[in-house]
Amino acid sequence: MPQGDYIELHRKRHGYRLDHFERKRKKEAREVHKHSERAQKSLGIKGKMIAKKNYKEKVQMKRTLKMHEESSSRRKVDDEVQEGAVPAYLLDRETTTRAKILSNTIKQKRKEKAGKWEVPLPKVRPVAEDEMFKVLRSGKRKTKQWKRMVTKATFVGPGFTRKPPKYERFIRPSGLRFTKAHVTHPELKCTFNLEIIGVKKNPNGPMYTSLGVMTKGTIIEVNVSELGLVTPGGKVVWGKYAQVTNNPENDGCINAVLLV
Amino acid sequence: MAQYDFKKITVVPTGNDLIDIVLSRTQRQTPTVIHKGNAISRVRQFYMRKVKFTETNFTDKLSKTIEDFPRVEDIHPFYGDLLHVLYNKDHYKLALGQLNTARNLIKRIREDYVKLLKYGDSLYRCKSLKRAALGRMCTVTKRIGPSLAYLEHVRQHMARLPSINTGAPTILICGCPNVGKSSFLNKITRADVEVQPYAFTTKSLFVGHTDYKYLRYQVIDTPGLLDRPLEDRNIIEMCSVTALVNLHAAILFFLDLSGSCGYSISQQAALFHSIKMMFRNNPVLIVCNKTDLQTLEGLSGEDLKLVMEMKSAALKTIPGQGGEAANDQDVLLTMSTITDEGVMAVKNAACQRLLDQRSERKMKSKKMPTVLNRFHVAMPKPRDQKERPVCIPQAVLEARAEEAAHEERKTEKDIENENGGAGVYSASLRKHYILADDDWKLDILPEFLDGHNVYDFIDPDILQRVEELEREETAVEEDGGDFEMEDEDFTAEAEKDLQEIRKRKKLLIQKHRIKKSTAESRPTVPRKFDKDRKFTTERMGRQLSSLGIDPSRAIERARSRSVSRKGRKRERSVGGDGEDVMEIDGGLDNKKKLRLRSRSMSVLSQRPLGEVVPGEGFKDSAQKMKAVTMARNATKKRNKDARRGEADRVIPTLRPKHLFSGKRSIGKTDRR
Repeated sequence: MPQGDYIELHRKRHGYRLDHFERKRKKEAREVHKHSERAQKSLGIKGKMIAKKNYKEKVQMKRTLKMHEESSSRRKVDDEVQEGAVPAYLLDRETTTRAKILSNTIKQKRKEKAGKWEVPLPKVRPVAEDEMFKVLRSGKRKTKQWKRMVTKATFVGPGFTRKPPKYERFIRPSGLRFTKAHVTHPELKCTFNLEIIGVKKNPNGPMYTSLGVMTKGTIIEVNVSELGLVTPGGKVVWGKYAQVTNNPENDGCINAVLLV
Repeated sequence: MAQYDFKKITVVPTGNDLIDIVLSRTQRQTPTVIHKGNAISRVRQFYMRKVKFTETNFTDKLSKTIEDFPRVEDIHPFYGDLLHVLYNKDHYKLALGQLNTARNLIKRIREDYVKLLKYGDSLYRCKSLKRAALGRMCTVTKRIGPSLAYLEHVRQHMARLPSINTGAPTILICGCPNVGKSSFLNKITRADVEVQPYAFTTKSLFVGHTDYKYLRYQVIDTPGLLDRPLEDRNIIEMCSVTALVNLHAAILFFLDLSGSCGYSISQQAALFHSIKMMFRNNPVLIVCNKTDLQTLEGLSGEDLKLVMEMKSAALKTIPGQGGEAANDQDVLLTMSTITDEGVMAVKNAACQRLLDQRSERKMKSKKMPTVLNRFHVAMPKPRDQKERPVCIPQAVLEARAEEAAHEERKTEKDIENENGGAGVYSASLRKHYILADDDWKLDILPEFLDGHNVYDFIDPDILQRVEELEREETAVEEDGGDFEMEDEDFTAEAEKDLQEIRKRKKLLIQKHRIKKSTAESRPTVPRKFDKDRKFTTERMGRQLSSLGIDPSRAIERARSRSVSRKGRKRERSVGGDGEDVMEIDGGLDNKKKLRLRSRSMSVLSQRPLGEVVPGEGFKDSAQKMKAVTMARNATKKRNKDARRGEADRVIPTLRPKHLFSGKRSIGKTDRR
């Protein structure tokens, strides 16, 4: 025992107090009541936090109990039907198989032509123009109102230069420009921080698409070279589409789901 | 040459705790109310403040931790190596590095979100941004949770390390396990180290302090070393190796001559030779312990040869840096910790060697000449060759000789030991009582008599008091006797009159006594508590007439001087409340009131106020007077409030109107 462990040394030499164990037991027994008193008497945010913690514990306890109960009850046994199992009256028939296999790339090309994608968020709330733009007054007497500032998250490409300030109608402030998105792979269930290559389509209109505004539901193209995906032909995939799933202007970041 | 204090490191909270602390701080110390209707700049400012505040708190707490923990490179190499051995320097540095990165990340989050908040155009948007910012900071903190837990663990262990002053003179004890190092430490210092027969009882460094020639020496006890290559050593052995290598100290290498530690002399010699290069310039002493089991002379030939080899090796390690042994004897010493022989000699030898070396080093250092210049020891020049020895008077010498020959006085402790020891013999405390008659020494005093404690009534002048009492009683008896003699002559009527007279007399005495009491000690019942409206002029009139005095003038005067609450008009009707004089109710039916107002009067206790009565608990008269004064002072205030005692907390009017009503000419009246 190190020299600094006074408590253990004293215990080793002199043992415990005569009433030590009894006091300890009683103190622990009293803890339950104290816990409940604290939970009942706390007010405000502290009370809410305690209640939340207690609720979580209660749920956990209920789950465990249910699990234990499950093992003791009896259940009906289902005979599982195997895939491809054929009923008796169909036996002795030759089943035909479709041999045509279309590759993924062709399918995607077809979809692109049709202009339709299978997306996780098919419908999004439309964003009005006055929500999207803020009117900026300009001119000597601040009466001209033809300038607009974008209030949502935007993406501008790497080679972007502003138009001369006198002529630019839509201002995309640099504080609202994003270059990276947190993209989740739906099957792998993990999230990567990937660079945005461009904005493909904004459901609110082609103007927003051309401006590069990213709202909820926008399809963007991200750089997936990190993931190391390879086409069946052996080429490295480095760009894929993803759909934005949050409101970037409210959260300060772009969360998207990869469209596979 | 600092004394490191690792106890001052602040407690490192766990990840979740840190989050709770910072978030609850933000909630408490920033404004909490903001409305949708407020100006947007105010809304933005409100939320930006919260983000900034949270970031500041996180940064502060993390910075405090990072700065409190010592940096392994900046501290003394002994502690640096010790920290490495105990906690793994890399892991330690990584943990601190993670805290640093977390701090930077949090700073960056704050900058980003404050920038975004500037574009917030609605309350909802600003609120979501603030929520996102705080959430991200908390996630970062959650991720460093394991590092925080590790650092807390390290801090707790570090705080309990023995405080070793790396610059103080130190003696280091090393050797094989079970050789007797810890028992030696226990003998020369007050360190109470565990000594057990199994090996590796000592598992870490222990420090004790001892004095030699007015200097304080540190003695460090190390865990035992086994003869292994350095890479194979475990943490416990590495502690002692660290101490050996980094500390400048006198090294005592302990040798067990009897081999009862489990290692033969050849094994111990091998260990010595393998670690001797760690000794460098430190003075080395080889101490042979357990001589009660096996003496140095009684060793066999080869063993003796091994020991001599070690001794010569030890001599060699002191090339010229000072600390050279004055003689051979100083390098090889024998002792036994059980019988205590040679222990002090070893300590003195070690301390002396170290002292010599340190003083030589100091002399050779660059600072010495600057200091030496300021010293000058003046030696008087002898004027002739006459010898002048010490002069002690003859009487002193004789007295000294007598004292030496004088036998030691037998103490009570000796008597106790003779008669069986502490539990068996109980010393008779009565032996030395000083009493008038020596026969009384062994008398047994009774403790209780008639339900009283006898000791409460024991008084040195008790006989005197008894005489006084007897005298009083005889006096009273005589008086009573007079009355009783004449009692037969009284008729029934006269008897009744006598009783009447006596009653009156008692009343008068009581009244007089009450009057005598000062205003401050007499409780005054203020008028407003006279709820029963007993103090009326009618009553006064009745009582005055019963005394035989015409009350009309008194009543007039009282009525003219007082103003009733309801106005004077009322007074003409049935006697209103016109008095402000408190009347004493005559007659014994209001005994209760009397008792409230007057001091308790017991006729029998006619003692003077400051006299000390045994049994009351006062030391002397002054103390009693002080107590009486204190009691009086306490009751004064209460009496002024017409409170019956300490426990009387009646508030006659709970909400006095003058305090609870009214308008203010300026300001608000939402608090009174």
